[in-house]
Amino acid sequence: MTIDMSQFYEVFFDEAEELLAEAERLLLGIDIENPDTEDLNAIFRAAHSIKGGAATFGFMDMTEITHVLENLLDKIRKHEMALTAEHVDAFLAAKDVLKMEVDGHRFATEVDQEQVADVKMMLKSLSEAGGLVNKPATSVSAPQTTPVVDEKKAAVPEVAAQVATQAADQVPADGLTHFHIFLPEISDKDATNLQEELGLLGEVASSKNEHGRYVLVLSTDSTQDDIVSICSFVLDPNDLVISLAPHTAAHVRPVIAEAKAVIVEDAGFGLFEDDVSDKPVLASTPVVADAGTKGKVAIHEEVGYGLFAIEGKENVEEGYGFFAPFKPHPDAAVATLIGDDTLTTEANSGKAEVAVKVEAEAATKTAAEAVERRNQGRRESDKAPASAETSSIRVGIEKVDQLINLVGELVITQAMIEQRISNLDPVQYEPLINSVGQLTRNTRDLQESVMSIRMMPMDFVFSRFPRMVRDLAAKLGKKVEFVTVGAATELDKGLIERIVDPLTHLVRNSVDHGIEMPAGRRAAGKSEVGTLTLSAAHKGGSIVIEVTDDGAGLNREKLLAKAKANGLTVSENMTDTEVFGLIFAPGFSTAEVVTDVSGRGVGMDVVKRNIAAMNGVVEIRSALGYGTTISISLPLTLAILDGMSVSLGNSIYVIPLNLIVETLQPRAEDIKTVTGEGRMVHVRGEYLPIIALHSLFNHHTDITDPTEGVLVLLESDGKKSALFVDRLVGQQQVVIKSLETNYRKVPGVSGATIMGDGGVALILDVSAIIQMGQTTNYLTGAFAFSHYANQAIPKELTK
Amino acid sequence: MSTDIVNNAANSKTASTKTKNAAGEYLTFVLGDEQYGLEILKVQEIRGYDAVTQIANTPDFIKGVVNLRGKIVPIVDLRIKFHLGKVEYDEFTVVIILNLNGRVVGIVVDGVSDVMALKEDQIRDVPSLVSNIDTKYIVGLASVETQMFILVDIEQLMSSQEMALMDNVAVH
Repeated sequence: MTIDMSQFYEVFFDEAEELLAEAERLLLGIDIENPDTEDLNAIFRAAHSIKGGAATFGFMDMTEITHVLENLLDKIRKHEMALTAEHVDAFLAAKDVLKMEVDGHRFATEVDQEQVADVKMMLKSLSEAGGLVNKPATSVSAPQTTPVVDEKKAAVPEVAAQVATQAADQVPADGLTHFHIFLPEISDKDATNLQEELGLLGEVASSKNEHGRYVLVLSTDSTQDDIVSICSFVLDPNDLVISLAPHTAAHVRPVIAEAKAVIVEDAGFGLFEDDVSDKPVLASTPVVADAGTKGKVAIHEEVGYGLFAIEGKENVEEGYGFFAPFKPHPDAAVATLIGDDTLTTEANSGKAEVAVKVEAEAATKTAAEAVERRNQGRRESDKAPASAETSSIRVGIEKVDQLINLVGELVITQAMIEQRISNLDPVQYEPLINSVGQLTRNTRDLQESVMSIRMMPMDFVFSRFPRMVRDLAAKLGKKVEFVTVGAATELDKGLIERIVDPLTHLVRNSVDHGIEMPAGRRAAGKSEVGTLTLSAAHKGGSIVIEVTDDGAGLNREKLLAKAKANGLTVSENMTDTEVFGLIFAPGFSTAEVVTDVSGRGVGMDVVKRNIAAMNGVVEIRSALGYGTTISISLPLTLAILDGMSVSLGNSIYVIPLNLIVETLQPRAEDIKTVTGEGRMVHVRGEYLPIIALHSLFNHHTDITDPTEGVLVLLESDGKKSALFVDRLVGQQQVVIKSLETNYRKVPGVSGATIMGDGGVALILDVSAIIQMGQTTNYLTGAFAFSHYANQAIPKELTK
Repeated sequence: MSTDIVNNAANSKTASTKTKNAAGEYLTFVLGDEQYGLEILKVQEIRGYDAVTQIANTPDFIKGVVNLRGKIVPIVDLRIKFHLGKVEYDEFTVVIILNLNGRVVGIVVDGVSDVMALKEDQIRDVPSLVSNIDTKYIVGLASVETQMFILVDIEQLMSSQEMALMDNVAVH
């Protein structure tokens, strides 16, 4: 099972570009003296989203930068650090670097690693020093570089050791580790696939050994586990042999003499593969040198410095890392690694020999060739989806939208005609009525097919996640089985794109906080392997997407305690739904530790906001110890709404159907008042506040007694209210029109639509109405309303 | 868009003192006993008064919204806004549909009279006086024969805060 992630790259690139552009816009507009918290949050969220996306696709270079960026932003956002001009400069530089990396991944353009490292250092030092910028020593070249080169020529025995240790030193310099991956016998196609997949982690080179098996050399900052996870898509991880290149580096000492020869060859002839194939211990040396050289050459090409100058510079610049301590104690390192060596089996000889081959091959390659090869790999991967597209055409989304709009108009016009002819004498006008009937059917079909252009299967979103869940689980040391249900369910393209971010957050949260560690699960009497289910299904006019884990569940007490600590108003009497809803509050996180994965408390409020923006509803169901389900219910499309039309006086209003729980005509004894003012209705043991639409909207109607009208029970944000209107008119699909195009936002109204008779009906904004209902007191209703409306209506009017 | 408004605001401030560039073609209309004129290029169409959909909690001069070939367009009754004329809606009530920088707005007036080309020398400065329309929205006064026309900077007027037609109005 291989997943071609490249088909989703474009979406991520577009998204990342957009977010970067937005972040830049905000950064440029920011007032350093008095930064807007909302702007800082927005920039932070942009960095967070890019990090999430980059991690999903394995673009580790971007994840690294955004992580550091995010840390710094978080401090500023929480006012732990004051914003300075330096920060803004650093952020803009980080933005440029990210853009460069996006382009690097997208168009295979050059990425200036030096600049990347600079920016990373700058952000790190800013974050640590609290504003002090320690300019990284960018242009310092190591003074001992020349001697190294000279030595290489002169003192041969020393050189081998030195080059080897140098290579070892260099490994950690850029945070990369070099792995040798010895594959079992697999087909060329699989090997190519695997190589491409591993290419996501870092630079990869492949070669074949004499047994026709593939050996990959991977330079990456990921762990061995990541490699195994990726390889296990293609082959059995047990058949895989992975060795860490730098370890073998120290083997050089015992075989210095031979090493010299190879090192000299390293300059670019690559003829020694046969000579050294029977000297397994030696073989490791050139491999390391090779790994190091490859890095060097690549940089050399980009920056145009000398080979060793760069090497020295890197040592100066980032003198930390895993292998640095080896430098002063090469003997100690040898000792350890010789110990290692004794464990190696017969297979080693094969490996070593292959390694030499790799070296010889790679050494002769220039950086340009390496780049070229990478480009080729990318181009090939680009070709695959292109050929799959021959049966489809790419059309600009605005063209499709225009088509949908036009069909929307057509449907309205058709409804008008239908209404006009309904008064005609059916006998006299039979042919006309028949024709209109046919028109109705055709219009409906046309509308359906046009809408289906925008529909895409949920698979497009779901297939992003297995990889992410796997990586996350491996990182956190958890065992997670990922299950998807209903991946064929279709959803509007616009929504599909917008659901990715929220779902990513939810899935990450479930893996990080929901599913327990294997030991914890065992203790709780559950299987060690947690299950994470992502499901999608159509339910009425909406699609329901659920993220379910069988983890620890939400702890009500913990949430309440945390909410109190955060200064939110809570009470013990809150329903579970209300308590669980707390996790959507901004900055609310119950995770004790802020990890790379989650716990900053940004995710959930973004999720909520994004979903609300799509006219969707999020709901949490959880049982302590048994797991959590987060359920997102979305309309199938943004353009059309399933609505219930209700009348009030001589006007028609539309209420989104998915927010209506039920409608009822109350009996007089069910209507209660509180302190003689607020009216409540008693529905099956529950008392719900009655919001009279006519008084909320100052709308004239003859029906002012709830028993004469209809109560529509609404639920939004976990709050229920009964909306009192005159009559129910009917249920219908309406095309949503914005009021703001030509007018402005109206409190309590989310948009407008055109009814069958050509008139305009307003669509109610249910959550705003429930909120308004709570602040409205019936004796002073108008006042409370105007107070609410104050935010939107200019002062002169409300004075 | 909002920057445009700001620019226009800046322009019109100078325009109210100097009547430069005010020459052009004007659509004249009647409000009560007074004759007004607005730049013809701002007018999209003229139509009769249709049933409007009321919008909750809006000032009384905002009559509501109508469906103009699929667009939701707000309708403002200038007679109510400026307390002029008798407010009646019948088959003779006229709505001027304006297109202001892409925003479509309808205004209800007592009647539309003519389109006339005005030269610069026909346009006079506005004397400072008390009127329902703030003088900053008046470009100038035009006299044609014995009649006087009040030339309105309709774009500035409609995007003003007191009209409450937009969310983000430029703050002066």
